[in-house]
Amino acid sequence: MAKKKFKGRPVLSGKLEGKALVSKQPFNLTGSYLKNMFAGETEAAPCTDNTNKDLHEKDLKGAIICTPQTVGSTMGAGTVMMCSELGVQPQAWLFSSHIDSISAGGLIMDDVWNGKRVVTIDLLGDEFLEAVKTGDPIAIHEDGTVEVG
Amino acid sequence: MKRREFCKGVALVPATGALLSIPRVADAVTPDAATADKAVATGSSQAGKVAGSKTLPGYAENFLTSDMDGLGPDGKPTGIKATFTGASKANTKAEQAMKHKMKLTKEEQAILDGKEGEEKAKLMKILVQFGNTFGAEKLVDLGGAPHSNMFIGAPYMASMIRMLDECAKAGLKSYAPYTVNPRPYDVYKVQNNAKDMEMIYEGYSSQWDLDYVHARLGAPDLNYRTCACYLEEVGNAPEPGTYVAWAESSAVNYGNSALGIRTNRNGAGMDLLQAMLGKAPQFGLMTDEGRKANWLIEVKTSKEPDWGVIGTAIGRKCVEDIPYITGLEKYFEGGKVTADNLHLLKAMGSATASSGAVGLYHVEGVTPDAREKGRDLLVEDYQTYVIDDKEQAQIISTFENLWPDKDADPTAAFIGCPHNSYHEVIKWGKLVTEALDKAGKEDAAIPVYLFTPNLVRDRAIEEHGELISRMKRAGMHATNMCGVSYAGMKGFSERVRGVTNSAKTRNYSTLRYFPDEILVKIIVTGKIPRGA
Repeated sequence: MAKKKFKGRPVLSGKLEGKALVSKQPFNLTGSYLKNMFAGETEAAPCTDNTNKDLHEKDLKGAIICTPQTVGSTMGAGTVMMCSELGVQPQAWLFSSHIDSISAGGLIMDDVWNGKRVVTIDLLGDEFLEAVKTGDPIAIHEDGTVEVG
Repeated sequence: MKRREFCKGVALVPATGALLSIPRVADAVTPDAATADKAVATGSSQAGKVAGSKTLPGYAENFLTSDMDGLGPDGKPTGIKATFTGASKANTKAEQAMKHKMKLTKEEQAILDGKEGEEKAKLMKILVQFGNTFGAEKLVDLGGAPHSNMFIGAPYMASMIRMLDECAKAGLKSYAPYTVNPRPYDVYKVQNNAKDMEMIYEGYSSQWDLDYVHARLGAPDLNYRTCACYLEEVGNAPEPGTYVAWAESSAVNYGNSALGIRTNRNGAGMDLLQAMLGKAPQFGLMTDEGRKANWLIEVKTSKEPDWGVIGTAIGRKCVEDIPYITGLEKYFEGGKVTADNLHLLKAMGSATASSGAVGLYHVEGVTPDAREKGRDLLVEDYQTYVIDDKEQAQIISTFENLWPDKDADPTAAFIGCPHNSYHEVIKWGKLVTEALDKAGKEDAAIPVYLFTPNLVRDRAIEEHGELISRMKRAGMHATNMCGVSYAGMKGFSERVRGVTNSAKTRNYSTLRYFPDEILVKIIVTGKIPRGA
C-alpha cells in the first residue's frame, strides 16, 4: 500500500516503527486495563473494555494505539503510571484529536518523574483515523510526522 | 450493552477498584518497564486476541464504564470529544499548537534549571509541558487554598502516591493548607460489618500511605475532609478572581461558578503538583476568553425546577462548553448565594459536571461573573437550549431503574452528594422526623445516610442537639465519607437498593433518583409511591 503521511503534534516525541492497533471510538483508559490494574497481569494487557469492538481482548502491551482520545476516570493518570510500572504500557499513543487532560497528566508525569516515556502524538486529524487500519505499518518521527503503510 | 449496567463514574471506577479481594497489584510489579529508548516495535501479532495468565475478578468486569466514556445510552459511541479541562480545543491544529511555548519568569526558569532542587525542577518541567500542551500563555501565582481529589488509597494508585511521597521526603509542601475529598469508606457507621471491613482493609491498602502524604504536604486533620470544601464550616472559599488549582469535578464547578474563582478541571495528581509550586499554567477557565459562554440556557419551567434534573440536561447538552443560564434569579433573594440556598447550585452544578464535563456555568443575576458582565459573557455565535416542563419530564424519563430486582422495595437512602451543607442537614432532619411524627412512627423504614463533613455534623449537634438526637434514634446516620464510593462497593447492587436526591450519585451508580418530597415518603414508608 502507498504510504500516507500525517502531521501531528509531538506531546512526547520519539522515533519508532511498529504496527497500528486502531480504536475508532475514544479509548477508555482505566476500563481497558482492568486485568492489569485489578488482577496484576504483567504478561499481556488484554483490552477489557467490552464496549470497544475494535480492541476487546486484543493485547495492548507494546502496541501503537491509534484512537481519537482517551476517556474515563479522572484517576486515569494513575492507570497510566501503573501500566508503566507493570511493564504493560503501549509503545505509542496516536490521537486524532486534542489530547485530554487525563492521559496528558499521567503521561507527562510518568515521563518527567519516572523517566518512562510513551511516545505520544496528538492532533493527527480525523483523516488519520479514517486511513489507518489495525496491522498497518507505522513509522513515527521526532517531529510528530506519522507514516502509515 | 446498557450503559451504567453496574456503575459508572469518575469517582466510582477508582473507588470500586480499590475494594477488591485480589492479590496486591504491587506484588506483581515488574520494575523494569520499557522506556522510550527501548521502545522499538517488534511487529508482534497484535491483531489476535490474548487472555493473559491471570483471571479478572468477576466483580471487576462491569467496572469499565465511567463518566464520559464516549458511549450513548444505547452503548454506541457518541463521537463526543472533550479535553476534560473545561476548555474545548476542538479546532486546534497541530502546526499551530506545536509552536506554542509558555513564557517563564526568571524565577520560574531558575526553578526549571534546578536552582531550587531536583524535585522542584521536575515539577516545573511537568507543569510547563502540561501548560504548553493546553495552550497556556504563562504560569500564574495561586492564592486561596488548594483542594485535592486524591482520596483513593488503592494499590493501583501506588505509583502516583510514591511520586507524592518522594516530594514530601524532599520537604516540598503546598503553598497553603489544603482540603481533600472525603475518604471512600466509613467503618464506624456505614461499612461497620465484617465483610465490608475485610474488603476495605484489603482494597484500600494504600490509604495509610496516601493520608500520610497528605499530612506532610499540608492537609489538616480528617475533620476537614469533604468534596464541598467551600461550606462555611470548612472555609475553603477563596475570593472571586483568585487563581487556584482545584480537583474534584463538583468543587471545581461550584468554585468557578458560585465563588468566581479561577481553576481548570485538574485530574488526580496535577492538583497537588501545582499546589507544591504555588503556580498553575493559565489557560481555559483561568482566562477571560475561556470563561465565555457558548450556550444560552433558558429555564422556563412553570414552577421551581428540579435542580439535579436541569443540571443533567445542561451537562448532556453542553458537554464541556460553558452555559449562561437564565430564569433562575428568582430563587436567590437579591441575587445572593447564601448558606441557605447554595445547595441549589450545588445540586445543579454537580449534575452538569457528572452528566457532562462542565467546569463553569453562569447564572444570570446570581453568579459573580454574570453579575459583573451579564450577557456580554455570551460568545457571538452561541446556541440556545430551552428547558421547560416538557423537556424536564423528558430528561427524567431517561433515568432508568437499574436495580437488579426492579420491583423490590428500597433498602437505604443516600443524601448528600456533594456533601450536605448545614442547612441541608437540618432541613432533612426536620423533614423526616416531622413526617415520622405525623405517621406515628419512631423509626425511618430504611436507614438514611447523610453525607456531610464532620465540622458540619458537629455544628448541628451543638446548635440542634435535640433534633440530632431524634434523627439518630430514627435511623439517620451522619457520615463524612464519599457516598458515591460506597455505591461502588463490590456486590453493592446485590445488597442495596438505594434511593437518592443526588443526580450526581444517580449518574454514577445504580441508585434511583427522586425529588425531595417523594424521598421523604419513601424514607417513612419504605415503599416507592405508585407512579413515582
